[in-house]
Amino acid sequence: MDTPFRFSNRVMAVALGLIAIGYLVLAFQMPDFTAVQVPVQPSTLPRWLGVALLILSILLFLQKGGAGKDATASGSGAASNVADSEGTSDEGAETGTRLGRLSDPRLELALFAASAAVYIALITPLGFLLSTTLYTVLTTWYLGYRRHLVNLAVSAGVTAVLYFGMTEGLNVVLPSGPFPF
Amino acid sequence: METLNQLFYGFSIALAPENLVFVFLGVLAGTIIGLLPGLGPMSAIALLIPIAYGLDATTAMIMLAGVYYGAIFGGSTSSILLNAPGVASTVATSFDGYPMARKGYAGKALATAAVASFIGGTISVVLLMLVAPQLSRVAVAFGPAEYFALMVLGLTAVVSLSGQNLVKGLIAAVVGVMIALVGTDSTTPVQRFTFGLPELYEGIEFLIVALGLFALAEVFALLVRRSQGMNAMTIGSLWLNRQELGSITKVSSRQSLLGFFIGVLPGAGATVASFLGYASEKKLAKDGHTFGKGNIKGLTAPESANNSAAVGSFVPLLTLGVPGSGTTAILLGALMVLGIQPGPLMLSDRPEVFWGIIASMYIGNIVLLVLNLPLIPLFAKILKTPPAILLPLIVVFCVIGIYGLSFSIFDLFLLLGFGIIGYLMRQNGFPLAPLILGVILGGLMERSMRQALQISHGDWSIFLSQPISAGLLAVGALSLASPLIGYLWRRRTGGNAQSGATDIAVAPDADAAEDAPESANSVTAVNSTDAQSAPDAGDPTDSDGTNDGGRGTS
Repeated sequence: MDTPFRFSNRVMAVALGLIAIGYLVLAFQMPDFTAVQVPVQPSTLPRWLGVALLILSILLFLQKGGAGKDATASGSGAASNVADSEGTSDEGAETGTRLGRLSDPRLELALFAASAAVYIALITPLGFLLSTTLYTVLTTWYLGYRRHLVNLAVSAGVTAVLYFGMTEGLNVVLPSGPFPF
Repeated sequence: METLNQLFYGFSIALAPENLVFVFLGVLAGTIIGLLPGLGPMSAIALLIPIAYGLDATTAMIMLAGVYYGAIFGGSTSSILLNAPGVASTVATSFDGYPMARKGYAGKALATAAVASFIGGTISVVLLMLVAPQLSRVAVAFGPAEYFALMVLGLTAVVSLSGQNLVKGLIAAVVGVMIALVGTDSTTPVQRFTFGLPELYEGIEFLIVALGLFALAEVFALLVRRSQGMNAMTIGSLWLNRQELGSITKVSSRQSLLGFFIGVLPGAGATVASFLGYASEKKLAKDGHTFGKGNIKGLTAPESANNSAAVGSFVPLLTLGVPGSGTTAILLGALMVLGIQPGPLMLSDRPEVFWGIIASMYIGNIVLLVLNLPLIPLFAKILKTPPAILLPLIVVFCVIGIYGLSFSIFDLFLLLGFGIIGYLMRQNGFPLAPLILGVILGGLMERSMRQALQISHGDWSIFLSQPISAGLLAVGALSLASPLIGYLWRRRTGGNAQSGATDIAVAPDADAAEDAPESANSVTAVNSTDAQSAPDAGDPTDSDGTNDGGRGTS
């Protein structure tokens, strides 16, 4: 199963249609600006866009197939996945190894996204240096890199270079956390 | 003569020591990022914008231009050594570059790519210098109605070239414009779609969308992609003999012209140019039947075409202020943040930026050649960076880029959200370029629309009664119809090789998710029917094979 999160056109059309309806409701609730005469109200373009999205999602619903069939692919992921899903894949793609430790790629992706969210949440309380070093060391280790000393040196080194480069070189203040610098 | 004076003026700016340093850094960073699987010009530029903010506007732009063509060149290196194009526009490069490397001529292939890129880049910079000022003179007469029409054309052209599924392309563009409208209305104090969150009053910064959709989404894709280990490839000698140099020069010269003009067209770009370059050279060359088996001409054609198209895509950006591709859209966003409004007035208002960029391209091309040839062994090592280290580092680069811009944790969560959206889009065949173009052009489009209607007292027919505006809108409508016309044409002709070339113009993914499937097996199968269907070039079901693995141009 190398095609995580691929849906049929119908499923996507329904999801997009719901988004379009929600968007339209908000667009029609938008207040008009009446202080001075304006030719175009702030809500004009959003209403059009909502209608356009609704029409497009209906068109998508009427299309046959799903992403696998018309993967015009907007990304390599799609491309290689198409290859895999259509059974015309390169052998390399079939027999190669995948990063991570979970057998279900969807869980792997969810875990990766969650770890990034935790990292973002910790930036302010722990400071950039500590949170970033922790994040890169743990992620690299989890993804299967075995040379732990190299991992630690690279993570800490790159983080420090970035931190001091930004704070000293570009005067961009990053959260320092518990450190005095 | 005046042009020459201006160019000397540009050189005096570009040769300032700090600008030289930044051209060098830009080209180097671009090459390295372009080398890495999955990261191409768009990610490269987006990742380096935060650094650009700390620089003088001219220096920043010069650096980003260097990043752009460095990234395109970097992509060719991974195409040749690994058959894993780092950039969409170098998918065609792998057709003959990888077979050459497998035969033990990797060094020769890399040197060929460097020389072809150099010739392509240089010829097209000369053309840019000649064409851009003339176009600026015409564009000065453009009013808001014309600008609105021009942006609509830019969007429709990118949609029409961003894949087989027009509906998905249009959805991406519409959602892009929707994102652009979030925040306080530009002309009235009305809040739109801010949900009462103060963080959204200023709108959503385009960089968050760009980094999320491209760099972060790519991390997700790399995470679950199966890949073979990187095989060490012996580089061999870099020297080209006189006969080889002769044939490279001949092929590059004509392909550069073609590439440049394709680059100028909105929505086309380096990917389209490289496929067309390959297909047309195959027809022109006497030994066309050996293309795909390691023919040096088959490597030269796409390499020179994609580099010159990259330069060509600067024409609409610098003269009209309307980007014709995802990459130039990101550059436009960067320019606006730096306080420069590109467009016909830029030449008179900010000549130092305009001519500085052009002169820096000359220098950048030389730097690209000087830098890349000696560093080839090093690049081969960079390609071996374990993905386990690379992935978290890309996340960190994205985070630092966004945080350094807004100091807002909310924006970082937004970045993660766009990363997830970008991944879902690529998994389901939605092109990314129309979305990013919509984000960048949405606000400008609405403003032009309002100004035009202000002038016409609310009469909507202004867009159709002005000849230039009506003409541009008509071309936009035609560009949306073109895939359909192409499809009907194909059905009529039965999809022969000839149509393969046409399709390439019509269908490849002009979006720009940039990287290619990392399949490390040989593409020796570019058979005589086409530049169309290398196994890696995307969707196997896609009979016209123009799909470049779904990445896009620049």
